[in-house]
Amino acid sequence: MGSYILGRLAQSGLVVLGVTTVVFIVTRVFGDPVSLMLPLSATAEQKAAFAHQIGLDQPLLAQFFAFAGDLVTLDFGESLWQRRPVIEVIADCLPNSLLLVSVALAAATLMAVLLGAIAALRPGGVIDKAISGIALLGLSMPQFWVGLLLILVMSVYLKLLPSSGMGSAAHLVLPAITLALTPLARQTMLLRSSMIDELNKQYVRTARAKGMPFARVLIVHALRNTWIPFLTLAGWEFILTLAGYSVVVETVFAWPGLGLTAIQAIQRGDLFLVQGVVFTIAVLIVTVNIVLDILFRAIDPRIGLN
Amino acid sequence: MIRKCLNALGTTALALAVGTAGAWAQSITIAIGSEPSTLDPQLRDDGGERQVNDNIYETLMARKADGALIPGLAAAAPERVSESAWEFVLREGIEFHNGEPFNADAVVASVERIIDPTNKSEQLAYLGTIVSAEKVDETTVRILTDGPDPILPSRMYWMKMIPPQHAQSGNLDEQPVGTGPYKFVDWQHGSEIRIEANEGYWGGAPEIDEVTYRFVTESGTRLSGLMSGEFDVITNLLPEYTSAVPKFAAVEGLETSVFILGADNALTSDPKVREALNLAIDRESMAKNLFGGYATVAKGQPVNPKAFGYNPDLQPYPYDPERAKALIAEAGATGKTLRVNGESGRWLKDREQIEAVAGYWAETGLEVDIVIEEFSQYLDSLMGDGPRPDSIFLANSNELLDADRESTFLLHMNGPAYSNSDTGLTEKLSKARTMIDEQERQALYHEVYEYVRGQNYLVPLFHLQDIYGLSERMEWTPRVDAKLLVSEMSVTE
Repeated sequence: MGSYILGRLAQSGLVVLGVTTVVFIVTRVFGDPVSLMLPLSATAEQKAAFAHQIGLDQPLLAQFFAFAGDLVTLDFGESLWQRRPVIEVIADCLPNSLLLVSVALAAATLMAVLLGAIAALRPGGVIDKAISGIALLGLSMPQFWVGLLLILVMSVYLKLLPSSGMGSAAHLVLPAITLALTPLARQTMLLRSSMIDELNKQYVRTARAKGMPFARVLIVHALRNTWIPFLTLAGWEFILTLAGYSVVVETVFAWPGLGLTAIQAIQRGDLFLVQGVVFTIAVLIVTVNIVLDILFRAIDPRIGLN
Repeated sequence: MIRKCLNALGTTALALAVGTAGAWAQSITIAIGSEPSTLDPQLRDDGGERQVNDNIYETLMARKADGALIPGLAAAAPERVSESAWEFVLREGIEFHNGEPFNADAVVASVERIIDPTNKSEQLAYLGTIVSAEKVDETTVRILTDGPDPILPSRMYWMKMIPPQHAQSGNLDEQPVGTGPYKFVDWQHGSEIRIEANEGYWGGAPEIDEVTYRFVTESGTRLSGLMSGEFDVITNLLPEYTSAVPKFAAVEGLETSVFILGADNALTSDPKVREALNLAIDRESMAKNLFGGYATVAKGQPVNPKAFGYNPDLQPYPYDPERAKALIAEAGATGKTLRVNGESGRWLKDREQIEAVAGYWAETGLEVDIVIEEFSQYLDSLMGDGPRPDSIFLANSNELLDADRESTFLLHMNGPAYSNSDTGLTEKLSKARTMIDEQERQALYHEVYEYVRGQNYLVPLFHLQDIYGLSERMEWTPRVDAKLLVSEMSVTE
């Protein structure tokens, strides 16, 4: 087990390094961060001085070695936009994102288990059709649209919840619902179909035949067998939500998280902050993958660690 | 009995006093488009920073809402004491929020800090001519420039005055301390900044007691926050939403949209072609249909109407598509390709303006090739060393409200974005930069822009308006210079 984890860690380190290198090259080869950062009226001398200050006048290879050296100590340099260390900016906004994403996904997962299991009880029935229909709707609606619609109804007309920003638990409700919708739909559909498969299997019939209560069959036996595909999807949703959906949802709700920071850093050509954000997300993704692999092994000992 | 009555009376009076005080404690929330990168008032050229700090810090010169330059922390307009020195007399008895006195030493420290090359202030673009400041006595200061500088008073409207001791030992980035009508309270990165009324303000305490700034990049979210009653003021309201909000206010702002024509390029070096490009555009129709009327057609020049040097006697280019077509035919340019460079998403309706204008140009018989570039590539096309584009779009902002800004940026051959080789014009513009006599200088700009209009070096389009969304209870007339001065706002309830 220990050597397995070490191996995975080494592998993950390579992945993170690869991703970061690509970002390093892309941010420097396309577009000119110096003219993006300075006002239109900046003179050529101001631009040259600024390029020198942030080290962009050095050859690309020299920049890369300096960058890689600093990376070891988690020093991403200073954000050009916020004028403070990148690591500080990320430390400020990452917890906000993690809070939003974990609330949204915890809610989505719990609801998905409930809805998926209910729908699977009578495939083709009215309840199943209703749940599947709603799931399809959840998958089809783009998040920025759902977000604006929720704001319109809950904040503008009903004045029940704040439309944007962060502060109280009430601020969390609308962005969390928006963020939860797509994962909820996908997880419900997956759980429903794997549950239907399980319930048609011989062992379920045997268990029922020997008089085991249905609830016990469902929860203890059938549900447990759906865990592996379900967890795989949940991990995937976590990554998608954190690295993808949160950019849209945080922008719509002005939620001060990693996604909003990322999009603003890109718009302002703040290449150091972009590098830091991408590195952080890459680390999170490989971590989630490792944790999932270990979890699978714990759930189903037949899965080898190699 | 009497005592009882008195007691009751006293209690009532107390309740009344408390009640009215409660009604007076006004607080508002303003949603701005971007979070300040810093609250240091001297380093960045950052709209978000100014929207907050304009209420905390003050400058020697100020402007009225209509743009007129007036003394701010200076007691009167400055006097020229020599070729390259201006003397300011300061108001007396003013203190910074931390108790430091505002005096000649503070002015000298402010000037020295902002021009110190190690601070690399982006605001030097507005202050580049200043070389030093000298204290004459406790309330008199001289500002020295590298040559005659007629715009220095306008420049001083850009330089915020900082408390010298706090600048040395405190943290200006996070703890702004000024002389203005509002004091800094706190800044929660990512969420909000709060400021409160400075009761001891020398110009009288402001009416609104507390202001919260929220940072909301998405314009739809700003709009819904206003509609739901969370925000009292939102910036950059789109013209099409003016009918949806409780209240709004529009004012002609600092930006003017314009195309620069490549006067040395194969196609656009022909004066007939350039004239045709100006005559082909129906600007009135664009102002109405694109901006819902919230844009003013430029009068044949790119200069801001509130700026020194604006020529009010020039006429807008007429819309004459037939004449444009005829000119293109005369020039033998029918069927030739005109490149139209531009960007998207930086300025109000930029892409829409570029595409509409290109549409009009295509009707003259030219082939039009629109190139919308990524912003940093666009900047390279606009100001880089490569070949000049046939035509390139720009919304030019005139922060100093002086014709020098447009002239230097768009036309002067030492400027960043000129597309001509008219040395006579450059000579005149250089002269205008340093002329001290106001009337002569004004006359020279008038002459220059009449000439430029005739040469069709530029295709001036619109003076853009800033539109603000307001909640029902807000009373405010927005300013030409786009400053969000809370002391000029009031709340009715």
